[in-house]
Amino acid sequence: MPQIELAGKTYEVDEDGFLQELDKWNKEFAQAYAKNEGIEGQLTEEHWKIINYLRDYFQKFGIAPMIRKLVKDNGIDMKRLYELFPTGPAKGACKLAGLSKPTGCV
Amino acid sequence: MTKENEKSQETDPKYPYRSEKLLPREQRVVRFLETLQEVLGAKIYNLPLETYLGTCAKCNNCAEQCQVYQTSRDQKDLPAWRSDLLRKVYKKYFTTSGKLFGKLVGAESLSEEDIDNMVDAFYRCNMCRRCGVNCPLAIDNALITRVGRVILAQLGFVPTNMTLSTRTQLGEIGNTSAIPKAAFIDTLDFLEEELRDETGIAIPIPRDVEGAEFFFAAPVSDYIMEADTLLGIAKTFYAAGASWTVSMENFDAINYGLFYSDADLEKVLNRLLEAANSLKCKTIVIGECGHSTKVALLFQKIYGRPEYHGMKVKNIIEVSHSFLKEGRLTFDPTKNPETVTYHDPCNLGRGSGLYEQPRELLKAAVMHFVEMTPNRQMNYCCGGGGGLVVVEDLHDWRMSAGGLKKVEQLRAIGAKLVCAPCANCKKQIRELVQAHKLDMEVVGLHDLLGKAIVLSGKA
Repeated sequence: MPQIELAGKTYEVDEDGFLQELDKWNKEFAQAYAKNEGIEGQLTEEHWKIINYLRDYFQKFGIAPMIRKLVKDNGIDMKRLYELFPTGPAKGACKLAGLSKPTGCV
Repeated sequence: MTKENEKSQETDPKYPYRSEKLLPREQRVVRFLETLQEVLGAKIYNLPLETYLGTCAKCNNCAEQCQVYQTSRDQKDLPAWRSDLLRKVYKKYFTTSGKLFGKLVGAESLSEEDIDNMVDAFYRCNMCRRCGVNCPLAIDNALITRVGRVILAQLGFVPTNMTLSTRTQLGEIGNTSAIPKAAFIDTLDFLEEELRDETGIAIPIPRDVEGAEFFFAAPVSDYIMEADTLLGIAKTFYAAGASWTVSMENFDAINYGLFYSDADLEKVLNRLLEAANSLKCKTIVIGECGHSTKVALLFQKIYGRPEYHGMKVKNIIEVSHSFLKEGRLTFDPTKNPETVTYHDPCNLGRGSGLYEQPRELLKAAVMHFVEMTPNRQMNYCCGGGGGLVVVEDLHDWRMSAGGLKKVEQLRAIGAKLVCAPCANCKKQIRELVQAHKLDMEVVGLHDLLGKAIVLSGKA
């Protein structure tokens, strides 16, 4: 199992860099991982809103929400979502939120 | 991994994609030949394979047609060369002339290195079948690619995401994107809410309706990625006054078996047919997805259980088109003022013969429609065909050799919107648009129909 070292801690991730142990997630993980996903500097309040929303939804339903629902419930549009997470919602945002990798044509 | 496995794989080259578990290197040749023999013995493959593997004029017409070869100029991407990887093995072991005259008649023994070449080459083919259109001997190289992959799968070579997705689909969760039922319900509720907010009408997405005329199954990733496509489809059914349903047990049309395994294809297909049958629906409608339309159309009578043979299979585009022809749909094209072009998904066009229906729908629903060149039978694949779009390891290849011809085409047409009614093509073209900084957006066909559809008086 590949590992990734972020901010002095080691995490188990899958081969595409998705966190394997969902309960190991913490804010430091998200912040330290942000750079790998093309986000410079500190995560902003807007980022955290999305990350927390994704984690809440995932805890409730076991999967990320429909992207349309994500943007609607957070009062942003797709363009803004891609500005916040340049590698995209299914990859970047889910990775930082510590969600497992989506499969299929996603 | 066992020690034996590790040892045998020390001599393996670095493969372009990850597979779950490989057969030890020294066992591969034997297993390959055994599997080829089995495939040749299968009724559905015997005749076409003997025809396609028995001959090739080496005229290189296919080189001119293959968008991948035209970009890469790599021998591996030449359809005739790639198919020959399997052809020379077939001739050597399964034909009398090959056994007797060997290389003189294009027959050669199989080596582990030959298998390595196939592992690479068969997963650089989009199975788009463009090369078959002008082949003087009508050789279907995509079928040869498919058979090559089916054999390689028996040695363990299948991109991990394909096997993982299929296992999730055939397991408890029941769909390739691992959407649990509760999440699916939440998503349908959300979509109905969107429909209400947007139109002021309570347009339903009917669930588990016994005896509905149309049983609808989308590529399940649409329930994550493609809200507008699904909203458009719900509006279309509503406007036409048709009865339809989704199944809460099986709402995924995707069938990756097409790309590597007849056994998995058969299981996934029968799950779908069974879901429709249990709701007593007689027509299965596949959403905006090329490969699963082709699977259902082509293999229903071959692998579907006999009790399901009476069902009809249609793509949503055919259904919407028949609604249009019957005068059941009215559009206001001013709602789609942008210039729109149409990408023919290979499995809907060359695979299922749907060329004019989507165009007639578009012309009714948008203001400015422009045609890319070439199109229809000669259209270029998006570069993510043959299931390659789900193989993350091949991303860079898809953005270059795989998809450059499509990029050139899109850039030349300069439309604001490219309509690609296939989940596979949507994902690939969106990635191309981003990677190559094209100023355009990718949409589904029903996204546009949904915007322009006139619903007044139906409330």
